[in-house]
Amino acid sequence: MRRVISCCLFCLPLLQGIAHADTRLQTGIDPEATLPYWQISNRGMSLRLVQRLPDQTRGYFLARGFAEKEADLIAKSCVFQTVFKNESNKNQPSPLEYNLHDWAVSVGGRQQGLKLREDWQREWQKRKIPKAAQVAFEWSLYPTRQVYKPGDYNWGMSIFNLAPGTKFDLKVVWRQYGKRHTAIIKDMQCAADIHPEPGSVHQP
Amino acid sequence: MKYLVAICMMSLCCFSRIGLAEDAIKQTLPPVEKPFVAPDFTLASESGKTYHLADFRGKVVLINFWATWCPPCRREMPSMNRMWQKIKGKGVEVLAVNVGEDADTIFEFLGAYPVNFPLLMDHDGSVVKKYPVTGLPTSYIVNPQGKVVYRAVGGREWDEPALYNQLLQLRKQ
Repeated sequence: MRRVISCCLFCLPLLQGIAHADTRLQTGIDPEATLPYWQISNRGMSLRLVQRLPDQTRGYFLARGFAEKEADLIAKSCVFQTVFKNESNKNQPSPLEYNLHDWAVSVGGRQQGLKLREDWQREWQKRKIPKAAQVAFEWSLYPTRQVYKPGDYNWGMSIFNLAPGTKFDLKVVWRQYGKRHTAIIKDMQCAADIHPEPGSVHQP
Repeated sequence: MKYLVAICMMSLCCFSRIGLAEDAIKQTLPPVEKPFVAPDFTLASESGKTYHLADFRGKVVLINFWATWCPPCRREMPSMNRMWQKIKGKGVEVLAVNVGEDADTIFEFLGAYPVNFPLLMDHDGSVVKKYPVTGLPTSYIVNPQGKVVYRAVGGREWDEPALYNQLLQLRKQ
């Protein structure tokens, strides 16, 4: 009996400790998108990346003033719906900040950065894309840098500049509680360029 | 022994319940570190009326930058409207500034998300650029003196008293 009590007393702080200590990874199928997601969380942060089908992205940008050629270019660049949250308001409030220049994707031992708002903006200016389409694109993309106060969050698209179906690891960097944190999400995968039937669920 | 296991399980449930309760009560409207004068703007609403921010001096103004394609923007609109119904006429105004879309798109949006406060159109994104916005939605709270004192990045449940009381409190400043 004493052993059971001490075991229970030991387990409670341990379970809480796990919740606060390391970065936890969850993967599965996002119920809304019916597409694979990867989610990491650590003490006061949570980052969820959900695949977007190239066709979904193509349609989205065609509806916002992009020509087929450019909509296709974006669609085939590995786009993920991204939700980054400062959840420290649940326990120990602390601001959270990140800079996407610090993040990297690795494929077969080669590392590269993400394709960011500023990179695309240069491209759109060269290609003389209509202003309204550029505005829609800029605000659809995940912010390059951001500081979140406790309770703040953003949604947006992250573009990893890889071919459809590519497998990769993602290095995620953020600052919180006065420290720089790094996590590697292994075996992520860009969505394949497929044209799904309604109601189907896509496995990586 | 069975009882002990049950007690332990109940304790664990209790801990997670406390966690959930905290989630619900800890919505925040964080203060900006250095309050700044809200950049002025003049914009037309989807109904054709023109709004000038400076005309609202002496009132508290919630400026919400949003777009119809942005899921958290859509999610927070109904609660913002419920809040508006509660505080309308009490010295607080809501201006929801749509970024980069046209009147037809907003009109269509209103069919699914009816709101009673003005939806302004920043077609070319020039107004949003005057504010330190990096993602949508972002909301700024302007005090009666015309200074931005709170910023919320991401959606909120605006009809929670803890949040809108922060706005009402500002009227006394």
